[in-house]
Amino acid sequence: MVEKHILSAFDEDIENIQSTLMKMGGLVEKSLFDAAEALVNSDVDLAKLVRENDQIIDDLEEEINSQTARLIALRSPTATDLRDALSFIKIASNLERIGDYGKNMAKRSLVMKPSSINEQGCRSLKRMTKEVISMMNNGLDAYIRKDVDLAESVILQDQDIDQHYNALFREFLTFMMENPKNITTCMHLHFIAKNIERIGDHVTSIAEQAVYVATGEYPLDDRPKIDTTGNTGGDTKGSS
Amino acid sequence: MEDEVKISARGVRVYYEDKQAIKNVDVKIQDKTVTAFIGPSGCGKSTFLRCLNRMNDTISICRVEGEILIDGQNIYHPDVDPVQLRAKVGMVFQKPNPFPKSIYDNVAYGPRIHGLFESKSDLDEIVKMALLRAALWEEVKDRLSEPGTGLSGGQQQRLCIARAIATRPEVLLMDEPCSALDPIATAQIEELIADLKENFCVVIVTHSMQQAARVSDKTAFFHLGDLVEYGDTEDLFVKPADPRTESYISGKIG
Repeated sequence: MVEKHILSAFDEDIENIQSTLMKMGGLVEKSLFDAAEALVNSDVDLAKLVRENDQIIDDLEEEINSQTARLIALRSPTATDLRDALSFIKIASNLERIGDYGKNMAKRSLVMKPSSINEQGCRSLKRMTKEVISMMNNGLDAYIRKDVDLAESVILQDQDIDQHYNALFREFLTFMMENPKNITTCMHLHFIAKNIERIGDHVTSIAEQAVYVATGEYPLDDRPKIDTTGNTGGDTKGSS
Repeated sequence: MEDEVKISARGVRVYYEDKQAIKNVDVKIQDKTVTAFIGPSGCGKSTFLRCLNRMNDTISICRVEGEILIDGQNIYHPDVDPVQLRAKVGMVFQKPNPFPKSIYDNVAYGPRIHGLFESKSDLDEIVKMALLRAALWEEVKDRLSEPGTGLSGGQQQRLCIARAIATRPEVLLMDEPCSALDPIATAQIEELIADLKENFCVVIVTHSMQQAARVSDKTAFFHLGDLVEYGDTEDLFVKPADPRTESYISGKIG
């Protein structure tokens, strides 16, 4: 924020909410990272920690919502301030959902049985998680710095996540066809992959908010959709 | 909302002696809409409003250049009678200023000096209609002979609005009509403004951005004598095009 409000308390309110949002982003990042570690190492304690941290993330979302309600009621924000206020609520909601997916990943790590497929799948999922974490960090950076170029590159990055998901989908399907004993493990792995893919969509939404706050317009939704898994549903020949 | 242009200003420049208060303003104001003028003190918004019914004629050092057309006619043309003009372009001021007369005579004042009625019953009807439109009739119908100055501030302002609309003007100018009123009276006036735009072209000057946002369809932002931005109120408050507008409406410059 280059230009300051005449009423300095207004700036303080906005800065406070932004810093709560960044704190929330930091916790969500840690939670995803820990969940992926717990998955790869079957680390029960770490998985438990992720589930505990999720409560803190949920509380922060509530805090951001009530701080923003107060900002709207007391300061009557307009223009960029108004767009900021709207984005606080949406981004807090995106982060809360991402946190939920992290929690779900941790929960699944507790019930999955060790196997070579499991080991291999978890390593792939960890790579995918790292990819989406880096995307999320860029999205939040773009949002705070009101950097439209960075935000748009994040929106494009979602294609990589989608591609990663499509590849894993096919891989897990193949394992399941090879041996029905793999189904339970592969279903868990697939749900995790799908959840990471959904995280990418929430990060995209954060990047879209960044563009909206900076310009007053939402970016044009002209990026290609590359979830091709719908074409394979029930058609075993299509996946070979 | 009708797109018909009621007032069209072209190259309007206003000077107080050597000091230029309005720099070359072009604007088209639509009929049957509420247009708000906003901007910091001294930006020229009231000066420009007062040009629209030649109220600045009464200030000897004030000079207006350019032209202002109402229904296509230049109101600064030498043939235009300012008194007749002001019957067509009514005005309501910051502080309620009822005449020291009865409620009835306040409203009947304009129709009387302009001879706008045929009979006593005709005048009674004009007064009643004006008070009804100003949302004051129910409160004063049993005491029309009492002095207007005995009413509350909010009622007095509605009385002034009734007085302004009794001459059946086409344009109603309001210069900070709520600044001396409490929030309830303000809400009543704002509700009234929304009704009035059915029949009039309403132009309001306000220091309250929230009021402009609440009552107007179009907003014009003035700064240092320039008309910086003019457009749909919604756009101006959500995504202003000019950084000066953004700064002003978000409370970043005075």
